[in-house]
Amino acid sequence: MKSIDLKDILYKVEKPARYIGNEINSAKKNLDEVNVRFGFAFPDVYEVGMSHLGMHILYHILNAEKDVYCERIFAPWVDMEEEMRKNNVPLFTLETHSPVKELDFFSFTLQYELSYTNILNMIELGNVPIRSKDRTEEDPFVVAGGPCAYNPEPLAEVIDFFMLGEGEEQIVQVMNLYKEWKKQGKSRNEFLEMVCEIKGIYVPSFYDVKYNEDNTIKSFEPKKDSYPRRITKAIVDDLDSVNYPDSVMVPNIDIVHNRAMVEIFRGCIRGCRFCQAGVIYRPVRERSLEKVEKIAEDLLKSSGFEELSLASLSTSDYSKIEDLVNILVGKYSGERIGLSLPSLRLDKFPIEVIEEIQKVRKTGLTFAPEAGTQRLRDVINKGITEEDLTKTVKEAFELGWTTVKLYFMIGLPTETYEDLDGIADLANKVVDIYYSIPKEKRGRGLKVTVSTSCFVPKPFTPFQWYEQDYRDEFIEKQNYLKSKLKNRNIKYNYHESKTSFLEAVVARGDRRVGETIIKAWELGCTFDGWGEKFKYDKWLEALESTNVDPHFYANRKREYTEVLPWDFVNVGVTKDFLQRENERALSEKITPNCRMSCAACGITDDFIGGDCKCVR
Amino acid sequence: MCKIRIRFKKNGYMIFTSHLDLMRIIERTLRRARVPISFSQGFNPHAKMSFATALALGVSSDGEYMDIELDEKVDLDNLAKRISKELPEGIEIIQYKYIDKKAKSLMSIIKYSSYVINLKLEKKISEEELRGNIEEFLKEDEIIIEKYSKKKNKTRKVDIKPMIKSIELVNIDDENVLLKALLAAGSEQNIKPEAVMEKMFEKMDFFNKEYVRVHRLELYALNKKDKMVTPLDDSIA
Repeated sequence: MKSIDLKDILYKVEKPARYIGNEINSAKKNLDEVNVRFGFAFPDVYEVGMSHLGMHILYHILNAEKDVYCERIFAPWVDMEEEMRKNNVPLFTLETHSPVKELDFFSFTLQYELSYTNILNMIELGNVPIRSKDRTEEDPFVVAGGPCAYNPEPLAEVIDFFMLGEGEEQIVQVMNLYKEWKKQGKSRNEFLEMVCEIKGIYVPSFYDVKYNEDNTIKSFEPKKDSYPRRITKAIVDDLDSVNYPDSVMVPNIDIVHNRAMVEIFRGCIRGCRFCQAGVIYRPVRERSLEKVEKIAEDLLKSSGFEELSLASLSTSDYSKIEDLVNILVGKYSGERIGLSLPSLRLDKFPIEVIEEIQKVRKTGLTFAPEAGTQRLRDVINKGITEEDLTKTVKEAFELGWTTVKLYFMIGLPTETYEDLDGIADLANKVVDIYYSIPKEKRGRGLKVTVSTSCFVPKPFTPFQWYEQDYRDEFIEKQNYLKSKLKNRNIKYNYHESKTSFLEAVVARGDRRVGETIIKAWELGCTFDGWGEKFKYDKWLEALESTNVDPHFYANRKREYTEVLPWDFVNVGVTKDFLQRENERALSEKITPNCRMSCAACGITDDFIGGDCKCVR
Repeated sequence: MCKIRIRFKKNGYMIFTSHLDLMRIIERTLRRARVPISFSQGFNPHAKMSFATALALGVSSDGEYMDIELDEKVDLDNLAKRISKELPEGIEIIQYKYIDKKAKSLMSIIKYSSYVINLKLEKKISEEELRGNIEEFLKEDEIIIEKYSKKKNKTRKVDIKPMIKSIELVNIDDENVLLKALLAAGSEQNIKPEAVMEKMFEKMDFFNKEYVRVHRLELYALNKKDKMVTPLDDSIA
């Protein structure tokens, strides 16, 4: 075992500190005293991966185990990859600069469908076979988890086993089982036979998929009766008792989210019908105020970060958000520690709270109405009214804010051009509100940014049966908005429809799409999520040569009766509920949030029993 | 309010962090070490620390300096110990002392920097021959480089000859050459060793042009008697 000397190649690449490790609070262990070596791989560059909270949590939990060593692996940027290939340097871990082939586990987090070609590239750079069937006792287990793993099928050929659900407890169970297996000296396959009994573990090679003539799925069957027919996600019961990092790695270079992060709650009470996270992270579980305060203190002390972020799907839904913010602002503004509150919802957050935060650091206001008209907002169950928005914006302008960002989606179910007009109207209204405030009271230089993304129907949402708009429809809609948003105070940004189209293909893909991903990678696709690196023509070539019709996956409306590739996964929320919600969407009926009334989503049935804690 | 001047090293893999990265690393280190650092007033308060010069990416150093301002006077040895404990591996405090709070900024007093430069030979060459080559290079009337200014989007010609105080051969074997150089550094005149080597390579074809490894030994200021002294020398600070 020899660590790789990177120095000479680091002189040849941009941002070499991406590859050095050596961060404060990163884990240092003696390899001779370690029994299991776990590689946590993020299939994107360092700056993106290091900003991901889940990685920090699992890194901490794994390294809290004395005989387990969790090290990090990121995707080398193209210049580094070139140097590595030229100099025969295999993919390595940051902590010890060891080749990944020496690890026991090579684990990927699936955060984004368009990072899948990076996964293949990283496996190959690690000198590990791409397909699980080609791996031997010499190779690490290639495993995966994270939100996109809820539809694991596109990577079924690649990943030895998936870990579905929340990893805090599950991953320790897997580690313990592995140690036992290692002691017994059993075969690779025997480990898979053992591990599939742990909750949330899915071994794709243990299942057969058959297809109908129309290409829909006919059946999904375990190869042996002893394999679980349904895979139920793992969850942790109580966030207060689960281990949370008391120290966090401090990156040596700037990263996307360069700050301390405390997760204040998991799940979301809202039930926006396009949102996968709102379903898969159910039930809602809050961390107590005292615990959040303690974690914040530990993290800030041990990291020296000058900014603290409260993480969750909808920060303002934390039941004691005002108390929390007041406490944190009171405690840390003297030390010049800023507080950032992402995913702000305007219908609850009082402006006074925002004002408090503004004292430390001034940022722009961000709102995500998602749709331009009340009708369409009712369809998607986004409980924001125009009045909420205009009221908050007015108050913000009066307090001196001048930057407002508005996020929308286009291509949502039932959308018409009236809804697009609504987007333009809202943006114009924001401008009008600004100018209605006397000159001496408002700040100077209004900037309204309108951003639209292309709707991607996702598994485990009420819109999972829905057809995505064709690309030319998206382009037409974008052009329409461009012509409508000509105000000099308004800037219009839109997401490229090509990537959203492929995202839709992979998100609801099955095992056959997996072949396309492998082919696309073979044709040179990596970093597909990075605009300039995205090779659409290569993807089209890959689709054609693997005989996969992308429109079958992206632009086709499914029947409720169709077997969906991810149906075997039990996320707690029932298919019945999703269907009901889709029907309510079509009749423009909103569903109240979980605190107001229970919508019987099913999470109480198998998972927590009795009342849902979100009603508390 | 008081001011501390610190000399530190940058070594190991940390040489691949940029100057901007380093400033953030140091600020967070000071926060972890609970150093009562002063902050500027205004909308975006920032920690009051200033550095001597920016070190290029990939250059190691035994001669980095920074000044930090503190709200209150504290025991220095204890402070240095606390900071040292919190620094990432590769950055190390060597010397420190209180300086006059009205002392001139590091940036304005630095005049020279000494370096060790490691080069690789592509062809064998004798010691005398190399010595002769270097002497000849240093005897030129002028050494012109083109400097690009982003601001003006223009390149201009600069004579760097006056900025090269000395280049000495320290060691040579079949593959490696070790030089020591004393070059102008600071806000008035500044020349990077890499740029000097590039000019030297134009005259000498026996080097591997891709390989220049630089280590800074020390930074120098001039005291009232025009003598070269370190920024921590009593005759200036």
